[in-house]
Amino acid sequence: MLAELINPYYLQVLSFILINIILGVSIYITLSTGQLSLGHAGFMGIGAYTSAILTLDYHMPLVVGIVAGAVLAGIVGLCIGIPTLRLQGVYLAIATLGFGEVIRVLFVNLEGLTKGAVGISSIPHMGRELVKGLQDFGFKASMIGLKNNQLISLSVFLILLIITLLIIAFFIRQSNSRVGRAFAAIKMDERAAEAMGVNITYYKVLAFAQGAMVAGFAGALFAHVTAYISPADFSYHRAVEILIFAIFGGSEVIWGPIFGATFLTAMPEILREVNEYRYMIYGVLLVVMMAFRPQGLIDTQMIYKMKQRRKKKGVS
Amino acid sequence: MILEQLINGITLGSIYAIVALGYTLVFGVLDILNMAHGEIFMFGAFMGVLVTNTLKMPLIVAFLVAIGVTAILGFLLETLALRPLRGKKGVSHLAPLISTIGVSIFLENLAHHFFGAGNHPFRTSFSEMSFQIGSITIYAVQLVIFVIAVLLIVGLSFWLSKTKAGKALRACAESLEAASILGVNTKKMITTTVIIASVMGGIAGVLVGMAFNSVSPQMGLSMGLKGLAIIILGGMGNVKGAMAGGLILGLAETLVVVFGESGYRDAIAFALIIIILLVRPQGLFGKASEARR
Repeated sequence: MLAELINPYYLQVLSFILINIILGVSIYITLSTGQLSLGHAGFMGIGAYTSAILTLDYHMPLVVGIVAGAVLAGIVGLCIGIPTLRLQGVYLAIATLGFGEVIRVLFVNLEGLTKGAVGISSIPHMGRELVKGLQDFGFKASMIGLKNNQLISLSVFLILLIITLLIIAFFIRQSNSRVGRAFAAIKMDERAAEAMGVNITYYKVLAFAQGAMVAGFAGALFAHVTAYISPADFSYHRAVEILIFAIFGGSEVIWGPIFGATFLTAMPEILREVNEYRYMIYGVLLVVMMAFRPQGLIDTQMIYKMKQRRKKKGVS
Repeated sequence: MILEQLINGITLGSIYAIVALGYTLVFGVLDILNMAHGEIFMFGAFMGVLVTNTLKMPLIVAFLVAIGVTAILGFLLETLALRPLRGKKGVSHLAPLISTIGVSIFLENLAHHFFGAGNHPFRTSFSEMSFQIGSITIYAVQLVIFVIAVLLIVGLSFWLSKTKAGKALRACAESLEAASILGVNTKKMITTTVIIASVMGGIAGVLVGMAFNSVSPQMGLSMGLKGLAIIILGGMGNVKGAMAGGLILGLAETLVVVFGESGYRDAIAFALIIIILLVRPQGLFGKASEARR
C-alpha cells in the first residue's frame, strides 16, 4: 500500500519545492532590511560548487561538503556585503548583479576546478549515499516494503523537509527577536532606525551574509539532489527566479516566499502546457505585482486578519 | 595588429556608447534603471535579421523597421510597466527596477519563442568588403557602424542642447516638478524620452548584428549589463560620460582579447561595475552629490 503511494517523481518535485523554499527564505532575509540582491544565484553557485568539488575531488563526507559550501557562501557574502552596503537601493542591486555574473564567468573559465561550461556530473547523490549507509547497518528497502529507488527519493525528501522546517523555525524566531525588529526598523526607515540606536551597518551586513549563507546552503543541497551542476544553473535567470518567489508570495512575512516558491514550482508541474511559457509568465507577474500589489500576495495585514479570525473561532 | 585591434575597439565602443546613451537618458529624466533596455536592443537586432535575411530587403529598411518596432516597445514599456508605478504612494524606489526586470525576461523569452534559441546570421551586401591602408585591414562594416554611431551621437547632442524639445528634456532631468510648473508637458516628455532611448537601443541592435554577424535572444542580457557598467563608469545620467565610458569598455574588451584572456572578456564589464561602485560611486565624470540616492 505504502509502496504504491510513494512515487519517486512526485517526491523529486516536492524536493525541488523544498529547495526553492530555502532559496525564497534566503532572498526574504536580505529583503527584510530593504536591500535588493540580484546576486543570490552567485551565492547558490558558490555553495553548490564548493560542496561538489569537496565531495568529489577530495572525498569529503557529504555533510562536511554541504556545511563548507554554506559557510563559504556566507563568508563571500560577508566580504561582498561590507563594502557594497555603503551603496543604496538601485546601486546595491547593480553591484550584486555584477557580482553574480563575475561568479558565473569564473565558473566557466576556471576549467581545472569547475570543468568549465560542461559542468560537474556524478556528484554524490544525497539519497543514494544515505541508503548505502543504511545498508551497511543491515537495513534494506525491502524490509519496509519499498523498492530501492523509492527509499532513495523518500529519504531525500525527508531530510530536506527536516532541514527546511528547521530553517523556517529559526528565521521565525529571529524575526520575533531583537534582530528581527532591527531588520524591520531598517526597512521602514533607515535614518529613523539609526537615530533610535540601531547599528544599521551591522544589521544590514548580518542580513546580507545570512541570506548569502542560506542561498549557499540551498545550492549545496541542490548539487547533491540533482547530482549535476553547470554554470548555466546559476545565471541571471536563477537570480530573477529566486527574487520572484519573494515578490509574488510577499516579502513582508516569511510565509510569503514560502508560498511563492511552492506555488511557482508546483504550477508548471501541474499545468504542463504552462511550462513552456514559464519565464514569460514570470515577467508579466513581476510587472503586474509591482503595479497592483508591490508587497506580494501575503502581507502582514493578511496574516493579522487570519489570526483575528482564528481567535474569534476559538471564543465562540 | 595592435592598430587593427584599436579600430575594432573603437567600433565596439561606439556601439556600446549608443546603448549606454539609451540607459542614461531614461535614468537622467526618470531616475529609473531600465533593465529592459538590453532586450529592446535585442529586438532591434532581430528586426534587422528578419528584414535583411528572411525578407531579403535592403539594410536601410532594416533600420526603419527596427526603429519602428523599438519605438512601439518603448511606448508599451512606458505605459504598461512604468506609468502605473509613478506617483503612487508607498511604492519603494526598487519597484520600477523590478518591473523592468519583469519586462526584460518577458521580452527575452518572447524572442526565444519566436526566433528559437540559436544564433542567427546577419548578412549585409558589404559584409565581406574590406580595404587596406598600409598594413591594416579595415572592414567596410566597421566604417559604416562608426559613421552611423557618430551621426547618432552628434544628432542627439545637438537635439539635447539646441532644440526646444531637447531643452525641455534636460529641464525634466533637472527636476520634473519644476519643469512641469514652467509649462513643460512632463508626461509627454517622459514618453518621448523612453521612446528615444528605446530607438537608440534598436539602432544599436542592428549595428551589433552587422558587426558580429550573429544575433541571439541571450544577447540582450549581456549587452544590457554592459550598458549598466558603462553608465556607472561614466556617471549615471551623464551623456558625455556614457560616450566616454562606451569607448573605454570597448577598448578594454578588445585589449583583453589581444592579451589572450578572451574567456574573461565579459567579466570586465561586471568587475568594472563593482570596482567603480566601491571606489568612485558617482562615476568618472559624475558630481559627488549624485552618489547617494
